[in-house]
Amino acid sequence: MAMNVGYITRETARNLWRNATLTLASVLTIVVSLGLLGAALLTRSAVDNATDRWEEGIEFVVWMNPDATPEQDELIRSTLEQSPAVDSFVYANQAEALEEFKRYFGDQPELLDNVSAADLPPSYRVVPRDPDPRAIDELASTFEDRPGVRDVSSADEIIKEMQRMGDKIGNVALLVAIVVLGIGLLLTLNTIVMAIGSRQREIEVMKLVGATNWFIRIPFILEGVVFGVAGAAGAIGALKLFEEYIINELNSSDTIVLLSGFEVSSAQFSQTALIMLLAGIAVASIGSGVAVTRHLDV
Amino acid sequence: MIKLENVTKVYKGDVVAIRDADIEIDKGEFVFLVGPSGSGKSTLIRLLNKEEVPDRGQIFVAGKDIAKLSSWKVPLLRRNIGCVFQDYKLLPKKTVAENVAFALEVIGRPRHVIEKQVPAILELVGLSQKMDRFPNELSGGEQQRVSIARAFVNRPLILLADEPTGNLDPATSVGIMRLLDRINRTGTTVVMATHDRGIVDTMRRRVLELDRGMIVRDEARGVYE
Repeated sequence: MAMNVGYITRETARNLWRNATLTLASVLTIVVSLGLLGAALLTRSAVDNATDRWEEGIEFVVWMNPDATPEQDELIRSTLEQSPAVDSFVYANQAEALEEFKRYFGDQPELLDNVSAADLPPSYRVVPRDPDPRAIDELASTFEDRPGVRDVSSADEIIKEMQRMGDKIGNVALLVAIVVLGIGLLLTLNTIVMAIGSRQREIEVMKLVGATNWFIRIPFILEGVVFGVAGAAGAIGALKLFEEYIINELNSSDTIVLLSGFEVSSAQFSQTALIMLLAGIAVASIGSGVAVTRHLDV
Repeated sequence: MIKLENVTKVYKGDVVAIRDADIEIDKGEFVFLVGPSGSGKSTLIRLLNKEEVPDRGQIFVAGKDIAKLSSWKVPLLRRNIGCVFQDYKLLPKKTVAENVAFALEVIGRPRHVIEKQVPAILELVGLSQKMDRFPNELSGGEQQRVSIARAFVNRPLILLADEPTGNLDPATSVGIMRLLDRINRTGTTVVMATHDRGIVDTMRRRVLELDRGMIVRDEARGVYE
C-alpha cells in the first residue's frame, strides 16, 4: 500500500498541536511513571552493587595488603581453616580482585588504565558458623592486627538493613510506577479519542473516498508513540540527574562509608533506559491502539 | 453494474427502511430515486457503498457481492464509488484544490498524479479560477461543484448523489444537473436521490419511486410522479 510519508508526518504533527494541553498532560504522566520505574530499577541495581560482596552468608572480609608475603598469607589461611568458629571462606586473589574492580568501574577506563592486579588487595570472604552479631564481631576483630592484614570489614546490620530497605523502596516505587503508567495509558487513550473526535469530518470524508483503515489510523497511533518516546526521553533525562545528584552523592558521602559501592555502571544505566523507552512506547501505543480500534472502524 | 436481489434493511425498533428490493442498473445509466422523506432513498444509497449492511438479500456492485466483502476491502470498493451529499461535506480549513487533492492523497496517489488531476477536474466543474478559495468563500452551487469534483477526481465507475440540489435554488440546480449529466456521458453510472420535481421532469431519465421502503414504480424516461 502506497503511503505518503509527508502526509502522515504532517497529520501527526497537526494532531499533537491541536490538543496541546492534553498532550502535555499525557506526556508528563508518562515522564513521571517512567521516572519512577527507572529510579526503582536503578536503586535496586545500586543496592545490589553495594552489597554484592556480602551475599551467601559472608559476614566479614579480611583484606590483605597487596604486598603481603606468602607466609603472612598462609598464616591467615591456616587460621581460618582451623578456627572452629569459621564455617567456610572464599579466597579472592589479585586477578579476581581486578575482575571485581573492572565490574565496578568498567565505565571509567581512565581508572582502569592506572590499576593492575598487583595494586589490588586479595581478600578472604568469611562465612562464620555462629550468626550472632557479637560473636561475628569478636571473630572478625581477631584478624585485625595480624601481620599482612590491611583491614577487616564486616557486613553488619546496616548492610542487611540496606538490602531490606532497598528492596522495599524498590517495590513501592515499582508499584506506584505501574499505577501511574496505567494513568498515562488512560490519558493517552483519552487524548487520542479527543483527537479523533475533533477530526470526525475529515475521517468521514477519508472513509467515503476509500482511504484504508490503516491509513486513517496510523497518524493517531504515531501520535501515541510520540507520547511514549517523548515521555521516555524526559524520564531518562531526569534519571540521569537522579544518578548524578543522589546516587553519586550517597556513594561519595564520608559519613556513610558503607555506601561506597552504591553506584551503577553505565551498562546498567543504559539497560534501565532501554526498559523505560520500551515501556513508554508499549504503554502509549496500547493507549492509542485501543483508541483507534474502538473509535475508528468502517 | 448494480444489482439488488431481495434486499431488506430493518433499522432498530423494527423500522423497515427497504423491503424486498429487486433492482438492476446497467453501466452508464442515470437513475433518479424519488419518494417522500423516509421512503428509503438514503438507505438505498448507503447500502450501495456499504455504509449500511442489508439484513437480507444480496447486493452486487461491479459483479461483486458486497455483503461478502471483507472489511479491509471496503475501501477498495469505495474508490470505485463517488459520493455527493446535500451538505457537501467539504473540509472548511482546506482550499478548493486541497479539498479535491485530499481525496487522492488519502488513497496514496503520488504527488505528480495529484498535481495533474486536480486542476483538470476543477476545469471540468468550472472552478479553475477559485482553486485557492476556502469553502466559506464560495456559493452553495460552487461548494457542490467542489464536492462533485472530489467525488469524480478518481474517475469512479459509479456516482451516488443524495439530494445534491437540496440546498440550492432552481437556477443553480440546473447547473449542477448539467455537470452530473456530463459526468454520466463519460460512462459513469449515476444514481441520484432527489425531491426536485422540476429536475426529474426535465431530464426524463429512469425513475425508481420508493414508498415506505418498497419500489412502487420503475420507469424508463420517467417523470416525478
